[in-house]
Amino acid sequence: MSSSAVTSPYAQAPRKRGLRAVVERTRGLGSGRGLPFVLPYLPFLILFGIAPMIYALKLAVTKDNGDWAGLHNFTRTVDDYRFGPAFKHIFLYTGVWLGALVIFVVTLALLLHGRANRVSSTFRFVFYIPGALAGAASVLVWLFMLDPSVSPGSFLVHNVLGAGLFVESIAPGHLPFIFAMIAFWTGAGGWIVVMYGALNTIPQDLEEAARIDGAGPIGIALRLKLPLIRKWIAYMVILSFATGTQLFVEPQLVNQASLGLVPDTWSANQLAYQEAFRYADFNAAAAIAVDLLAIGLFAAVLIVSRTGLFRTED
Amino acid sequence: MRVFERSAPGWSRWRRMRWTILTSLAVTGIAVGLAACGGSSGSGSTSSQAATSSTASGAKAAGPASGSLTVWVDSVRLPAAKAYQKAHPDVHLKIVTFDGDANGATTLQTKIQLWNRSGKGWPDVIFSEQVNDPVWMAKKPFEFAQPIKGLVPESALRQWPAPSTAQCTIDGTQYCVQDNLAQVVLWVNKKLMDRFGYTVPTTWQEWAALGQKVATEHPGYIVGNSGDSFSHWIYLWSGQCPLQQLKGDKVTINATDPHCTRMASLMDPLIKNGTVPPLSVFTPDFAKKYGGAKDKVLLMPGPAWFATALFHDTLHLPAGQITAASPLKWENESPVVTGQVGGGPWIVSKHSKNLKAAGDFVTWETTVFNDKRPGYPAYAPLADSWLATLAKDPFFASDPTAALKGAAPLIWQGWNLVTYPDQPVWSNTVVTKLVAGTALSALLQPLGDGLANAAQAAGYQVARE
Repeated sequence: MSSSAVTSPYAQAPRKRGLRAVVERTRGLGSGRGLPFVLPYLPFLILFGIAPMIYALKLAVTKDNGDWAGLHNFTRTVDDYRFGPAFKHIFLYTGVWLGALVIFVVTLALLLHGRANRVSSTFRFVFYIPGALAGAASVLVWLFMLDPSVSPGSFLVHNVLGAGLFVESIAPGHLPFIFAMIAFWTGAGGWIVVMYGALNTIPQDLEEAARIDGAGPIGIALRLKLPLIRKWIAYMVILSFATGTQLFVEPQLVNQASLGLVPDTWSANQLAYQEAFRYADFNAAAAIAVDLLAIGLFAAVLIVSRTGLFRTED
Repeated sequence: MRVFERSAPGWSRWRRMRWTILTSLAVTGIAVGLAACGGSSGSGSTSSQAATSSTASGAKAAGPASGSLTVWVDSVRLPAAKAYQKAHPDVHLKIVTFDGDANGATTLQTKIQLWNRSGKGWPDVIFSEQVNDPVWMAKKPFEFAQPIKGLVPESALRQWPAPSTAQCTIDGTQYCVQDNLAQVVLWVNKKLMDRFGYTVPTTWQEWAALGQKVATEHPGYIVGNSGDSFSHWIYLWSGQCPLQQLKGDKVTINATDPHCTRMASLMDPLIKNGTVPPLSVFTPDFAKKYGGAKDKVLLMPGPAWFATALFHDTLHLPAGQITAASPLKWENESPVVTGQVGGGPWIVSKHSKNLKAAGDFVTWETTVFNDKRPGYPAYAPLADSWLATLAKDPFFASDPTAALKGAAPLIWQGWNLVTYPDQPVWSNTVVTKLVAGTALSALLQPLGDGLANAAQAAGYQVARE
């Protein structure tokens, strides 16, 4: 019986006609062939991705003695006086950062793609350099950049941020924008390279056809290239959204550098950390982690469904 | 606060940042190392455990301390820990430096949580810059601190001033000894005061009046500062503002009490006219504007450890200018009380496998070590010799010791120690707004609200009046 169940799709296949049948057959084969490629990653995904997630879900709905707590951990963390500000901060930050990322990365990539190869590779390298300073190191560099007394761009700090002192640079109202700027310059270069790669997959003859039809460089960029790299942009937004809402290192370092002027629960992830390790409340921490997971998943589903990221038959 | 009694000279933010990073790297590295060595130290400790249990009376046991000992100290206490090692070659000392929980950081809470969870890795002795740290260390869920009785000789324990012992006593048991006393006095630039023809104020009112005068007659000079994470301990603690009054598990927070508002309204004009700027004394901006050759600190209410840690080592003020005066009083109110900024405690771990050496270490650090000690020793006999050295120090314009000694017993006892750090609340809700130009009087209510939130999150019942 089981063998007939396995063979039945193939048995029916010849009866299907046309493209559909072909697509279905290649897809069936594809998933089988794809398995060896996915396999090495699977244990890690389970160990470091899925298992902790299940553990967090379990912690989030239980008390510290293991009893069922229902949604209590969620309601009490939402009621916490730091919850609202922390989520407000990360949403504002993520919004500013994602907006900047999409607009500037796509624009710069499109501009570079229109240039001669040598110019474009030089600029790609230049844009990539700030990203070579990973996480914490880039924050440190930025702390000096933002200190009017030592910054090489002190006139900018003074005129744009209106700050004559370091404490004025990192005023609470500036922080989401400052963190967004730090994150933009560390991540943008890498994404520009990715987008450039995506643009290179566009067949040359498509571009030529558009040119023959009378499209100028702007028209080609906006009406041909942009729609074709839409999925890459969606991919960037999904990954960046998750990274953005999980902001931790930047505010944590600024908290220390500012001698405590910036709260140690500035972002939601920091709040979860504090709940876990300062108050020994792993259940509350797990609840906040699950909130972040839900937000990330919701955004991902929304973006995937709106952009057709996983659609293969376009 | 960033670091109490800073002893290293010339700290700029860069060095501090670098320090923070290096420390956190070191701490992480060592934490990993400890975890990795957990097995070996565990097996190695069986013998030392046997040795300890055979000398169950701890410090009373005869013979010098030996064995291995892990201590966690802040950067300021590093020379003191190294000095112990030099004096005690039989003890295998492992020193770990960390941020000292400066500015109300909660490094130790997170570390102890992790050690408690993994069941190993605890250091034997910790120095914290936070005078309130032993409060939570003695309680659930941390339960880290070992009662100090039996570790430090009884005869020595009696030499700590009663208020100091009281700060280390939690639910009737003493869990720590204070390293230093941190009473607030009025620091005076005698040379400048003489040149300007001013007399040293004795009351907060005179101080405020002088601040107004300085703003018009000598703009740029300052009579205090309000931008440190501990500024409320200088002004509001001295002013007897009831922000932390404890009765059992109930904390009374009344930030709009007249004792708070009267100090705030005295300070507001001075913050506005620039004579009490909302800047931290440990920022490069402060040193640049008021320190070194600029020499613009006229008066500064501040703790005993400002003596060398701030004026000499951080601001590099010229010698022969600074001295101390008695704490400012409120008009003719008596008794005169003052604030406290720090006075870090030494805490021994109850998990220590070498309590004898741990007790010996703490005893030595607090009752013997006196070489370039950064703060006013809490242990009374040591304080006398420390003051004698200070009296002869040519850095001071005149002998500051009388004022320091006189202020030691005046710390207001109405400010109780709680499990949560209050510094971040002051920094986040008040200092950032003072920088933006809001008046302190308008920030007292938010300060009270912030403290109430922190207290509730830490499990206290809160009474607002």
